[in-house]
Amino acid sequence: MTKNVLESLQVIFRDVLDSPELMLNPETAASDVPGWDSLAHLSLVDAVETEFQVKFALGELQKLRNVGDMIELISQKQS
Amino acid sequence: MLFSSPVFVYIFLPVVVVVFFALDRVGGHTISKSWLLVASATFYGWWNPIYLSLLIASVLVNWFVSSAIRAQNENGEAARAKWLFLLGLAFNLGLLGFFKYADFFISNVNTVAGSNFVLLHLVLPLGISFFTLQQVAYLVDVYEGLAKEHAFLNYALFVSFFPQLIAGPIVHHAEMMPQFARGEQGRAIPENMSRGVFVFIVGLFKKLVIADSLSSIVVAGFDQAESLNMLAAWVASLAFSFQIYFDFSGYTDMATGAALMLNIRLPLNFNSPYRALTLINFWDRWHITLSVFINTYVYTPILRSFKRITLRNAMVATLLAMLISGLWHGAAWTFVAWGGLHGLGLVVCHLWRKQKRRMPSILAWLITFNFVNIANVVFRAQTAQDAGKVIGGMFGFNGVMLPTSLADMLSGLSRAGVEFGTVLTDVSAGPGTVFALGLLLAIIAFARNSIELMDGFRPRYLTLAGAVVLLLSSLYKIGANSEFLYFDF
Repeated sequence: MTKNVLESLQVIFRDVLDSPELMLNPETAASDVPGWDSLAHLSLVDAVETEFQVKFALGELQKLRNVGDMIELISQKQS
Repeated sequence: MLFSSPVFVYIFLPVVVVVFFALDRVGGHTISKSWLLVASATFYGWWNPIYLSLLIASVLVNWFVSSAIRAQNENGEAARAKWLFLLGLAFNLGLLGFFKYADFFISNVNTVAGSNFVLLHLVLPLGISFFTLQQVAYLVDVYEGLAKEHAFLNYALFVSFFPQLIAGPIVHHAEMMPQFARGEQGRAIPENMSRGVFVFIVGLFKKLVIADSLSSIVVAGFDQAESLNMLAAWVASLAFSFQIYFDFSGYTDMATGAALMLNIRLPLNFNSPYRALTLINFWDRWHITLSVFINTYVYTPILRSFKRITLRNAMVATLLAMLISGLWHGAAWTFVAWGGLHGLGLVVCHLWRKQKRRMPSILAWLITFNFVNIANVVFRAQTAQDAGKVIGGMFGFNGVMLPTSLADMLSGLSRAGVEFGTVLTDVSAGPGTVFALGLLLAIIAFARNSIELMDGFRPRYLTLAGAVVLLLSSLYKIGANSEFLYFDF
């Protein structure tokens, strides 16, 4: 499950951030990824919400600044 | 009651701290936390007992509404939860709107419609801007199912805890309520006590010795002078930029220190903001808790309300969020203009970042610092005319004057329109002031800030000696009270 989420996230991130070579792992944080700034963050969140059919609360968005937290919250919301 | 007043420093704070730990030992956590609540109410009511009832009403209404929302959410009644949420939001914004913006609204209506509605002249309840935001964030999070903690005592303390009650930091329930809920704060911890006292003293010094000393220059330059020559205008604007930084961050230091004595850690609010190399970074360092609130609960919902998240929509949301932030700072068009300036600055900063072009650090700092400094003029000026006077002066519209002592050496410049005379009379300052401002700039640019000092605190004789010097020079000035700049907001 987690692995599938990670793969889907990688597709989304490559697309939104326009960097086809990008490799994600659960430890990847916003500061490690060029272009993952405050603007791109909301675009990413938007794309993730559409892909996984989930809705993040406002208070959760700032905590999603690394891939591991994102995977955890997505899995939590889907269960 | 002000943190820098004798009654707070000599009586209130020591009594609250000592009684808190004594009560916790004798009566347990609930008793000691209730004492903090009583102390906070006393602190607030000291200024205006009648408005204490307003604070209490605000806390009670918000707690009942949020409890009701939680109950409806648990029963799966989404529509009812939504109505209650909107009701709670309207209550908070209505209260703030009435007390803070009624006269602003009325006077604008009078100007536009030529009518003569009488102004209400309400006294702004202290801290209403701050405790309103904190409770709005709680309401939103309860509505969205995020806020788990809801014991009344912990909620009431989260809103009204006296260190942060009237001028921030704007605390978030998720970082405060668990601290009150744990209840492990009931035992005095020497490390927290010494760090708390230390950072409180640093804040006291920043407020009483530095910020208050700059006040006379700022008042003379902004409010009294007819016009300002170029150097005098720069001195006035820099004096204000330093005053507001040392005033507000000094207040935050005192809040952080007082809270830490009670084993409560308040969030970071200032991180050497004037060192920022971009305006985006400035807002990550200046009044951080407000930036986080605006980002989470204003900017993000605006941007998400657009159909698509594009750069253009994000820039519109940025501008709107900063205009709202400006209005939050004060009910006047100068504050809206200040917010708008920062909004435009952020847009330019984001667009530049997209270009991925590099700029030398020193140039980036100069642009950022001067932009913030000039925007600060609009923030401080009581009228648009005053802002025009200071900014016009800075750009040399009211003439350039150099000290008489340079007249012989640079006499050639007089042909270019440069005058010679006593340059800083209009800001009631002299050469010593220029030296002092240069020193402050060096401190701001290179010295470790108070929170870094607090985190690196070690009990050494040298630190003790330094703290004693700061304390004594602050206590020397403690009688002459002036209000914190952020109390009007």
